[in-house]
Amino acid sequence: MATAALCGSRQSPEGLLGDSSPQEDEDCDPEDGDSDWGSYSSASSDYDDLEPEWLDSVQKNGELFYLELSEGEEESLLPEPPVVNHVRFSENEIIIEEDDYREGKKYEPKLKRFTKILKSKRLLPKRHNKKNSKDSGPVSILKHQSHQKTGVLVQQRYKDVSVCVNPKKLTVTKAKEQLKLLEVLVGVIHQTKWSWRRAGKQAGGERLVVHGLLPGGPAMKSGQVFIGDVLVAVNDVDVTSENIERVLSCIPGPMQVKLTFENAYAVKKEAAQPTQKKVQLNTEGDLVKLLWGEEVGGSEQKVLHTPHVVLYLTLELDSETSKEEEILYHYPASDASQKLKSVRGIFLTLCDMLESVTGTRVTSSSLLLNGKQINVAYWKESDKLLLIGLPAEEVPLPQLRNMIEDVAQTLKFMYGSLDRAFCQAENAPRVDHFFELFFQRALLPARPHGGASPGAQQYEAASAVLLDGLPGVRWLPLPQEIKVELDTALSDLEAADFAELSEDYHDMRRLYTILGSSLFYKGYLTCSHLPKDDLIDVAVYCRHYGLLPLAAKQRVGQLVIWREVFPRCHCRPPTDSDPDAFQEPEGRYFLLIVGWRHFMSCVLLEAGGCASTAVGNPGPDCVYVDQVKTALHQLQAVDCRINEQLESSPSPCLSCADWFLAGSHEKLDCLTTSPILSKLQGSSKVATSPPCRRTLFGDYSLKTRKPSPSRSSGGPDDGGEGGEGGGPSPHTTPDTERKQREADGSEESGALLKVIKKKSALLNPFHVGNLKKDLSEKELEIYNAMKLTSGPENTLFHYVALETVQGIFITPTHEDVARLGGSVHPELIKNFHRCCLSIRAVFQQTLMEEKKKAGSVADHSDSTDSASAPNPVKEHGVLFECSPENWADQKKAPPVVAYWVVGRLFLCPKVQELYVCFHDSVTEIAIEMAFKLFFGLTL
Amino acid sequence: MGEEGTEGTVHLLCLAASSGVPLFCRSSRGGAPARQQLPFSVIGSLNGVHMFGQNLEVQLSSARTEDTTVVWKSFHDSITLIVLSSEAGTSELRLERLLQMVFGAMVLLVGLEELTNISNIERLKKELRASYGLIDSLLGDSELIGDLTQCVDCVVPPEGSLLQEALSGFAEAAGTNFASLVVSGRVVVATESWWRLGTPEAVLLPWLVGSLPPQAARDYPVYLPHGSPTVPHRLLTLTLLPGLELCLVCGPRPPLSQLDPQLLERWWQPMLDPLRACLPLGPRALPAGFPLHTDILGLLLLHLELKRCLFTVEPSGDKDPSPEQRRCVLRSFYTLVTAVHFPPEPGQQEDKAEDAAQQPQVPKACYLVSGTEEPGTGWRLVALQSGPRRLLLLLSAQSPVHGLRGLATRTLHALTPLL
Repeated sequence: MATAALCGSRQSPEGLLGDSSPQEDEDCDPEDGDSDWGSYSSASSDYDDLEPEWLDSVQKNGELFYLELSEGEEESLLPEPPVVNHVRFSENEIIIEEDDYREGKKYEPKLKRFTKILKSKRLLPKRHNKKNSKDSGPVSILKHQSHQKTGVLVQQRYKDVSVCVNPKKLTVTKAKEQLKLLEVLVGVIHQTKWSWRRAGKQAGGERLVVHGLLPGGPAMKSGQVFIGDVLVAVNDVDVTSENIERVLSCIPGPMQVKLTFENAYAVKKEAAQPTQKKVQLNTEGDLVKLLWGEEVGGSEQKVLHTPHVVLYLTLELDSETSKEEEILYHYPASDASQKLKSVRGIFLTLCDMLESVTGTRVTSSSLLLNGKQINVAYWKESDKLLLIGLPAEEVPLPQLRNMIEDVAQTLKFMYGSLDRAFCQAENAPRVDHFFELFFQRALLPARPHGGASPGAQQYEAASAVLLDGLPGVRWLPLPQEIKVELDTALSDLEAADFAELSEDYHDMRRLYTILGSSLFYKGYLTCSHLPKDDLIDVAVYCRHYGLLPLAAKQRVGQLVIWREVFPRCHCRPPTDSDPDAFQEPEGRYFLLIVGWRHFMSCVLLEAGGCASTAVGNPGPDCVYVDQVKTALHQLQAVDCRINEQLESSPSPCLSCADWFLAGSHEKLDCLTTSPILSKLQGSSKVATSPPCRRTLFGDYSLKTRKPSPSRSSGGPDDGGEGGEGGGPSPHTTPDTERKQREADGSEESGALLKVIKKKSALLNPFHVGNLKKDLSEKELEIYNAMKLTSGPENTLFHYVALETVQGIFITPTHEDVARLGGSVHPELIKNFHRCCLSIRAVFQQTLMEEKKKAGSVADHSDSTDSASAPNPVKEHGVLFECSPENWADQKKAPPVVAYWVVGRLFLCPKVQELYVCFHDSVTEIAIEMAFKLFFGLTL
Repeated sequence: MGEEGTEGTVHLLCLAASSGVPLFCRSSRGGAPARQQLPFSVIGSLNGVHMFGQNLEVQLSSARTEDTTVVWKSFHDSITLIVLSSEAGTSELRLERLLQMVFGAMVLLVGLEELTNISNIERLKKELRASYGLIDSLLGDSELIGDLTQCVDCVVPPEGSLLQEALSGFAEAAGTNFASLVVSGRVVVATESWWRLGTPEAVLLPWLVGSLPPQAARDYPVYLPHGSPTVPHRLLTLTLLPGLELCLVCGPRPPLSQLDPQLLERWWQPMLDPLRACLPLGPRALPAGFPLHTDILGLLLLHLELKRCLFTVEPSGDKDPSPEQRRCVLRSFYTLVTAVHFPPEPGQQEDKAEDAAQQPQVPKACYLVSGTEEPGTGWRLVALQSGPRRLLLLLSAQSPVHGLRGLATRTLHALTPLL
């Protein structure tokens, strides 16, 4: 049960393909050869009704977080067959599991019968049956064992760790107080006072939660014990806090002891809510692993030693209550955060005093802790204070400020208010998990997630600094016809007039109104019918839970998320000022996220208003889930076209910085001379190897695969179909697919670049020379249309364009960046994002002042004449020079490439931000670039 | 400036670290010294949080509200300085440097010994009163920028070599190595040894001379915060022309009386014309007729190795914006550029987190355009780094954005022989 959610999908892609074509009948399934279909048909005989596999995962409060991996992904994640596979369980626990099952049953959706009908009509996708988790009453842990043998489990619930202990060593430090033996002998720190807060007492003593590991102790040396694990047995003897000392004291001499631990995530949730939600939370725990790779151990250590803390404090002091009462929430419980927690008095005092002195809110403060600068960001709401402390080295202050705003916004989106998030006991484990993910993201941005190419990973890590803070969603511009198709699909879904769901059909009020939906493809927003604020709320939620990168690889077999949400624009308290104004109906809102393959659809539902009022904590409704799923399945046809779009050359072409690395002899005048000079210089050289020149030039729009002879003779060629024979490329595959060629092209150019670099440093990538003349006019047109920069060469390295009205931004895709490769380029991109963060901080200051000014103008017309207020900053640029990092040649100075990072802020007609990075050779006018980029940028 | 409310106020608090007794509080508002003081409870809690953190080995260094920045700094475990500023465009860098300068000023006039071993707080308070004038000038709006850049404000005299010669000769005759000519707080010429003075005193001595009320001659005891923080020296000043002073730093000899009018006349009488030519240089810094582009409204040239700077906002007539505003804009641009983009100046231990990551990416230039969307409003700022020199320009709105760097490069080229 514990990990049932992840063990399901044995669905093959072929099976899914079959789903979308209803005419394909069941009788062809056995031929599929996939055992699942067999099991499906055999098991189905036991069931008159097919329940969706996520149904068991629905929690008491109606929430659902269900993730099933796709076939291939699961296999790659399979742990090695466990060495020791011993599991301890007690009667007690089985009963708990049973409860689980029954409670889950209770949440049958009201419209389940609809599912039945749909099923019978084969309108809904076929599903394999989850025989393991369902066919025989209560699930026992032993069942899981069988699962593990088949190797489907991602995470074990129990693990055995063998450690060597030597009681002889500690004759001096004989146990003085309780639980000392555990610490000195095994190296596991368990603190009694902590556990009662979270875990509650269990019969027969307290559970032995690992609160810390003694440095150098056997447990730490083993590398398998993590904080949060629970020690359940020593040499197969059950232990609790009551008997642990007795058990350990029985160890006569140096020997190997087998410790059985319950895994951290499984425990945390269970402890908090003993009767429920093991399934869901386990899934979330696995999600961490899934997203951050398997070697959490080492990185966790690193995170543990970095001071970081989140505190939720109250400024209202009640003298009656005991110590530490002002702390409403605190995470993590590691040593590193203790120090920051202990100085909370500083934060409280500053928050209160500075606000009363200056009349404005405290935003942040900086501390020096062990020589490390720690920034603490403040977020005050009524009389509560949310604090996040992170080292300045990892998280620059502007980023931290954005982060705390995001956190507050997301928590409010999820729980309605910060108070509800932090102060309701049942939310504690979930908020813990939220911050676990949060700190993982903040402190380990470079965590690889399985499979992604290193280039894309680097890009991801480098861009997170800036992009995570932008009030927008990463958007993938698509050609009109695809857009229309997606729009139609979403509109159809939103209309919710499918026969089975119509009110007339069943003569009952519909459960939810669909307020809007949005569609993500591989983590890029492709289409959205949500209002901007909702869209951003949803996107930030997805970002926090790492859902967006999840879909980038084909890893999602099925994802269903359901929860009540509190969108800020709907949940505002009604204003009394204008009684005639539109009032949002007093409804409740639910977020449904359904993911399938590369697609992810987020749907915002409203209960109340014109739909029936929600009672209690409704779980996800099958009909809605299935409808969204069907919509996604319908979109499968578009899949490859979107993908093509994604992988084709980017709309404004990009260049790689390495192509511009000038030789050292040009270093002196590279600041002032235009590339024309170098063009002349190298023109003779260029003639010798025209194809190289072309690839070096690097403009993909120009890569029309013309055979080189025709090009050098100057005759305009119709390009494209000429094959690749002309170049020195060995890839003369008859593959005519454009995409393939693109890929080849980039490979080829990379390879060529290397060869040429070795051959002659004189060859200059600027030389367009006669190449330009050869272009037919039509080609030139295309070429110009796709180029953002002015001047003959494409000098654009990178860009980010933010459109705040629609809440979207565009930036080169991972594929684009990975394709460019290069050695200097990744560094450049990293620097670009860091620099943009600082530029954006200046813009944010401006925006704030503008807002203040607008407010003061409204109040009294004569606004005070301050130095900066009437002149908002609108453009800010920095010129950088960079050179290859390890330049071996001592005699010559390394080649240098100079590039600008320019940010431009537009206040009217709407707030837009543009960040571009381009080579220094051409002077650019940011407004023009912005016009080109923003033109036609509409959802 | 001159806003209502708390806007634009700077409060400087000085406390004895061990006892928490306030030694002095200075405030300035809208660039001028103000009497308004923080309530004692606020002073107490500001010091309290810092002290509390220190006990737990957590150094509280700064805090920000939406419009105010507070910086704490303790010196030699005996003096805690706290500054709370709500000036527009304030930043931690500016305030940290301000605190360094303020402490430098305290040492300059009182001596490090008095400040580290506080035996009698009342006496120390009395002694510190002498430094109020200098500290107030650091807090308020000044025409100089040395407090921020930590470089000596200089001017370029038209006939520098003549003056240099006269100064060297005079210094030798007077029996000291440290001599300089100062016009309204800016150094015109100075001897080699004078230029070798350490960071705080090189900036503070001319600053002190500029902040003192005019007098024909002074004999002023000073400690050199960097060179000799415990042994006092004498600062002798002689007014050659109104606003133009000759400064000497020397030991017990020579007495002021020995610098008789004859000696002065012998060296400076023939220099009268070049000296007169120096007088208008105060705010202008550059010799008249120096070719500067007409778009340039303000200029700051730093030589980071020599630690000297040229700062002027009056190269071209009195157009909008006002000189105060220009100074303010250039100051905040300098802060932005130094704190965020450019690598820290050599010889400063302010370690910024970003630098380690940015090593191979060297920033060379930077510009900033402000103003509303309609053309002709606002201004342009550009900064250029080339070798040890760093040039910051404030330009009028009619200057095209794409030409900013070219203009800066040319200007820097023209200015290079001067500094």
